[in-house]
Amino acid sequence: MTLIELLVIMHVVGTVLGVGAATFAEIYYTRFNSDDIVTDDERKTLATAYTVMRTGLFLLAISGFAFLLYFRLTEHVGILTSPSFWAKMTIVGVLVGNALMLQARIMPLAVGAAVSLTSWYAALVLGVIGKTSATYAEILIYYAVAIVLVGVSLRLIRAYLHAPKKI
Amino acid sequence: MTTPLAVLLVVHVLSGVVAIGMHNVALMHLLKKAPDYLFVSRLAWSALVLLVLSWATSAYYYVSYYGVAVKPRILAGDTPAAHIFFMETKEHIFLILPFLALSIALCTVYLRSHQDDDSLRKSTAFLTLVALAVGAATAASGILVSGAI
Repeated sequence: MTLIELLVIMHVVGTVLGVGAATFAEIYYTRFNSDDIVTDDERKTLATAYTVMRTGLFLLAISGFAFLLYFRLTEHVGILTSPSFWAKMTIVGVLVGNALMLQARIMPLAVGAAVSLTSWYAALVLGVIGKTSATYAEILIYYAVAIVLVGVSLRLIRAYLHAPKKI
Repeated sequence: MTTPLAVLLVVHVLSGVVAIGMHNVALMHLLKKAPDYLFVSRLAWSALVLLVLSWATSAYYYVSYYGVAVKPRILAGDTPAAHIFFMETKEHIFLILPFLALSIALCTVYLRSHQDDDSLRKSTAFLTLVALAVGAATAASGILVSGAI
């Protein structure tokens, strides 16, 4: 196995863990909070999902910078100035900032959840697409619109789960 | 680039990135009401060691290779600002990072024996946020410089 294959595997595993954990953290939180009570067991389940998500982010960051080094040492530096690469870096920065603001309780949970879920999927999509003709600003506008749409969708799902059940 | 110089560059980047990650984890814990100060302190000291390592390896690389082989290529290329602004800023701002990391590490040692000092916890968290921001800006500048070759 070559070094680049190892890095690709590490990057894919990090993305899978992050996207998967972000998805399940949102599903669990929506389910657990449908009765407005989050028990200790439910809290532990959520904490496990967040730990997996952070592990994914760590693997993604380390393998990502290892890729950059590989491109630098092999003089394939064109990617380092591409809009999709910088949009991905920005989105990873948003993920880290969002986690910090949630921890400091200065970010509303509903907004933070939408930002986290959208950011993970946006990073995944940008990674899969690779080169794109869209500019940096265009990618970030799509990203901002996606956050709003995901936020509204999550709000509707939570409202539906909280609605009184018809007997 | 010779193999030892490539190794120095790899050590510089990876130790810097892991140190930034450690400051991020330390900040997440410092934002809690009752952090595990032993864990935070270990993270802070490890980040300091890694930043000094990143500092030393980059200094040797900069003096022995960057100035003669990389800088002229960037200045003659399409984006000379990568050196004129980003590298010049990076190499000076980066100088304060190990001292920020040392201050954070010393604060966490004090916090281990003064766990009720909430004011110091918040101040240390703010200092760690500053170190994190400086570290992230330094990393982003490094990528821009590499991309301009």
